Amino acid sequence: MSLDTHEVTEITPPPIVATEDEPARSRLRLRRDRRRAGREQDTVPYALRGTRRGKVLRGVLLGVVALATIFPFYAMVVLSLKPSGAVEFPGSLLPWNLTTSAYSDVLGSQDVPQWLINTLIYSIVGVLGTLLLSALAGYAFAKKRFPGREAMFWSFLSMVMVPYHVTMIPTFVLIAKMNGVDTYWGLILPSLANAQAVFLMRQFIQGLPDELFEAAKIDGASEFQIFVRIVLPLIKPIMATLGTFVFLWHWNDFLWPLIVGQSTDMRTLTVGIASLQQQNVPLNVVLAGSVVAFVPIFMAYLVGQRYVTEGVAATGIKG
Amino acid sequence: MAAVAEQPRRLRRRGPHARREARIGLLFVLPAFVLFVLFRFGPSIAGVLLGFTDYSLMDSPKFTGLDNFTRLWDDPVFWSSLKVTVLYTVITVPGTIIAALGLALLTRRAFRGSKLFRSIFFLPVVTSLVLASTVFIWIFSTDGPWSTVMSLVGGHTGSWLADDVFVVPALAIVGIWSRFGYGMLILLASLQNVPRELEEAALTDGAGPWQRFRHIIAPSLKPALFFLAVIETTASFQVFDAVYVMTGGGPANASYTLVFQLYDAGFKYFDLGYASAIGLALFVLTLIVAIIQRLVIGKEK
Repeated sequence: MSLDTHEVTEITPPPIVATEDEPARSRLRLRRDRRRAGREQDTVPYALRGTRRGKVLRGVLLGVVALATIFPFYAMVVLSLKPSGAVEFPGSLLPWNLTTSAYSDVLGSQDVPQWLINTLIYSIVGVLGTLLLSALAGYAFAKKRFPGREAMFWSFLSMVMVPYHVTMIPTFVLIAKMNGVDTYWGLILPSLANAQAVFLMRQFIQGLPDELFEAAKIDGASEFQIFVRIVLPLIKPIMATLGTFVFLWHWNDFLWPLIVGQSTDMRTLTVGIASLQQQNVPLNVVLAGSVVAFVPIFMAYLVGQRYVTEGVAATGIKG
Repeated sequence: MAAVAEQPRRLRRRGPHARREARIGLLFVLPAFVLFVLFRFGPSIAGVLLGFTDYSLMDSPKFTGLDNFTRLWDDPVFWSSLKVTVLYTVITVPGTIIAALGLALLTRRAFRGSKLFRSIFFLPVVTSLVLASTVFIWIFSTDGPWSTVMSLVGGHTGSWLADDVFVVPALAIVGIWSRFGYGMLILLASLQNVPRELEEAALTDGAGPWQRFRHIIAPSLKPALFFLAVIETTASFQVFDAVYVMTGGGPANASYTLVFQLYDAGFKYFDLGYASAIGLALFVLTLIVAIIQRLVIGKEK
């Protein structure tokens, strides 16, 4: 998954924003209204609901596809809990004779914990940096007038069109010339220039009413205060969506860490696990590594699922 | 009239307040702008220029005109990796879109469990293909589930990953598995735009499911389908992660893709000019396909 080849479409600004007259309560009411609206949409007239046979057929079909979709995850977990060499099908898929020996191998090794730390650094710094930079730029593009604003914004946006593989080589050359190969900053810094993040931030902030910022200005708040106390709290929804995606992109990123992290110590989990795979490490150990790398993603998905699915639906942001 | 309206705005813009606003605006954009110049604008231009040079990190780039491109044209490996990439795309994109469409239509109406199904179908999208590949290697191994099922239904026996004809379809299956959930969500969002009254009217007029789909649902889905076709084609052209882990491009280059060739040229042989030329070829290819898709799927937005 490359970092900056994501297509963009319009994002819908928030329909209602809590103002001074309508404090937090309005947000609750908004949620309730949304729920109701959702329910109304789902009350389909009887005629369109389909026959009983149709429903059963649909259930069976969906069930089969869902099982097929989950199967690789199930196999990954079960086989990682088997002793080395238990790979026969279908015997090894049965959930007994389980052992955590592969996990003690993986977590007891020097490499995997280091890779986990590298991945955490890459993802967390990546998310925080991207969110901060894109919030600052998005706010300026949306609400400040300055010379060259439109030209600058559209040149940012045009970078979404240039495929990652065209810029990857010169970026590597630049990082190599600055002695950034095998360093954290060399890994992280290029990933912070994210056109899609700036675009989504700008779209979202444009939907916020100007009065909110002007009122604060009249009250004598400095620009920094306005950004921290007014802009940041208001853009929480887009930060949640964007943050989840940026986390996923970094965590799952492969090609860039593969190129920049050349020593074993600087690998991320994806690169490290790919290297285990190539070194003929036993299947259960490789899969235990995969599970270790997958668990945080799964957690992030469980927590941020709403933001992920709604984000995709509203913006077409790439998964 | 327009000039009069313009007047006060101009005055305001020149005032001290406006100048302060402009300064702050620029200050806020600056960090992102510096990074964009360094890692996006600069490399975009450099990426194009490097394609016309001979460069290996050690010494400075030598301008060689169209040499890289004539070399590419005469390179059998390039044609083979182009063929592999196109074949992969031709299987993956329609497969992904058809699966996404089918599942979007099936989970469109809320019913008990519909949310759970959607979450399950989206799970592979958030999963790294590298991680998924480690288990797909086993699934496609000689005695693994896929090979077992295939030999039971009388298909190809042995591992698909070791077969030079079936290796690309095997990778395409992984590609479809990892992408259909995304397409499903996009299509579900645009299914909300299907006019309910129209659908009901068609139903009372006795239109069958296919007719309803063809004349009422499909027109609303057109923009989303175009969007998906472009996005999925672009993603498929760039297939790398799963290939790198599952086959390493083998057997005998049968799954060696364009990005793999770019990676090898650039970071195994440090032939950075040639690697950039491959990147440009990929870019042009993606553009051409996007234009064709636009023409085929529809002229309207």
